[in-house]
Amino acid sequence: MNATLAIARATFGEAIRKRVLLIILLVALLILLVTPAFEVLAVREQKTILTSFGLGIIQLAGALIAIILCINMIPQEIERRTIYTILSKPVLRHHFVLGKFLGAMQTLAFAFLLMGVAFMLVMYLTLREIDPKVVKGLIMFFFQSSLLAGVTLFFSTFASPLVNFFLSGGTFLVGNILSNFLNTIEKNPQVGSMTRIPVQILVLLMPNFANFNVQNPIINPEQQLTDETAYLVQTVAYGGVYICLLLVAAVLIFNQREM
Amino acid sequence: MEQTVIKTVNLSKRYSGLWSKTTVDAVKNLSLEVNKGEIFGFLGPNGAGKTTTIKILLGIIYPTQGEAYVLGTPAGDPKTHFKLSYLPENPYFYDYMTGEEILSFYAQLFGIGEPERSKRIKELLGRVGLSRAASQPIRTYSKGMQQRIGLAQCLLNDPELLILDEPTAGLDPIAHIDIRDMILDLRDKGKTLFVCSHQLSDVEAVCDRVAILKNGEMARLGKLDELLAGGTVEMIAERVENGILDQLKALGGQAHLHEGKLFVQQPDDDSIGAVIDLVRKNGGRIISVLPQRRSLEDLFVETIQGGKSA
Repeated sequence: MNATLAIARATFGEAIRKRVLLIILLVALLILLVTPAFEVLAVREQKTILTSFGLGIIQLAGALIAIILCINMIPQEIERRTIYTILSKPVLRHHFVLGKFLGAMQTLAFAFLLMGVAFMLVMYLTLREIDPKVVKGLIMFFFQSSLLAGVTLFFSTFASPLVNFFLSGGTFLVGNILSNFLNTIEKNPQVGSMTRIPVQILVLLMPNFANFNVQNPIINPEQQLTDETAYLVQTVAYGGVYICLLLVAAVLIFNQREM
Repeated sequence: MEQTVIKTVNLSKRYSGLWSKTTVDAVKNLSLEVNKGEIFGFLGPNGAGKTTTIKILLGIIYPTQGEAYVLGTPAGDPKTHFKLSYLPENPYFYDYMTGEEILSFYAQLFGIGEPERSKRIKELLGRVGLSRAASQPIRTYSKGMQQRIGLAQCLLNDPELLILDEPTAGLDPIAHIDIRDMILDLRDKGKTLFVCSHQLSDVEAVCDRVAILKNGEMARLGKLDELLAGGTVEMIAERVENGILDQLKALGGQAHLHEGKLFVQQPDDDSIGAVIDLVRKNGGRIISVLPQRRSLEDLFVETIQGGKSA
């Protein structure tokens, strides 16, 4: 466990010094600070616009940070040969993968904390209130980004960074729309089982990122929550189980990988 | 009986392309033993299979055939890694960390807790001459300093075996000598060192035994003294007359007179006895007889270009 935590700390230390991640974070923070100005472009209620837009920016920045952070995580360690000095110590490969993932989560937590504080500050200064749903939205997006980090780390055990960028980005995109797509085709009696069954299988296999979008009525207009707490817990648990499965698969592949 | 620290038996590694049918045999039937307490030089030109062998010994890649044992257990066993250390060629460390932090990071990988960790780090920084640079980020270190910190991370666990890949590559002469002295000091402390290097003068100066790989196969293996023996023998004599030169040349060597002294060079020590007898018989006086040791560079070039096998 010592080794895993040491690798996680080193990963976090290195990640927060990566210029590209800092730029994404900085741009997101700047956009969040000017969010109130966008209300002039919309006709909806100021609070709805501010919440949707702000959380949307945070979601996007979180997803970009997760992908850019994790696509290089293992290939870069191999290229720079740091992995050789690490694996020549009494460190098992699963310690390494787990440490890298925990470091990524720590980085995401740091980024979400900064963006969350900035967003809530803007919200308070604009509306003189902080909607508790924003906090829930932030937490759910943090777990969404962590799941995406798990997906990207899994791909990084065998794919090059460029291929991984498209694989992870594609998975995120499909994982955000697939369940809604399934809902749509299930309501359409003209869609046959030849189309419906493959989509159902895909929904089952692909990570469902849309589940984490609970706060956003624009994205999930039909979602009626009877027990919000149970839903949030279930979604986080789903994310946790999915991440565990991804890490197990990543370790199995990485154990066989020759560097 | 000497204790074996590294042992490979018919070790082979073949790389195959995923889509193409091209295969590369990086290591072929490599069998060697490294004994406890020796400095073993592992030599070969680029692409000879040295780093591949090291990676197999560390469990970073897996052999296609054969067996490899490190400290009595199959290569790659993480428990063995408590007792060995590795310094890769041109090591890279997380350069935002200071010298002290990077050593602390590696110490945590060994599970070394406080206060032992801080004590050992301080001691090692002193030992490699980096006490004053301990709080500097590694990105500000020179190549020599990075190599020293690399060696320090190798010593954190007080290992029985050190595997060093090009430990003196790219260093200035002073850093070069320092690292070389450290290697000798480690041997004196009973450590076993497996050194991969292109710096043949260093290898010749420190190694007890060497192996030379060529195209993944063992081309030479043995004690350095034995491998480098068998060179020419030079003899100097005086009070010798010109007439003896032809008789000396007939014995297979070269001979010439210069300022009253006779200089003879024989290709091996088998014929030197006959030369000495001949000189004495002709009233000459022997001043010196010196066997000339080949250099490791000569042996290396001869092995790689001559195609001689073990």
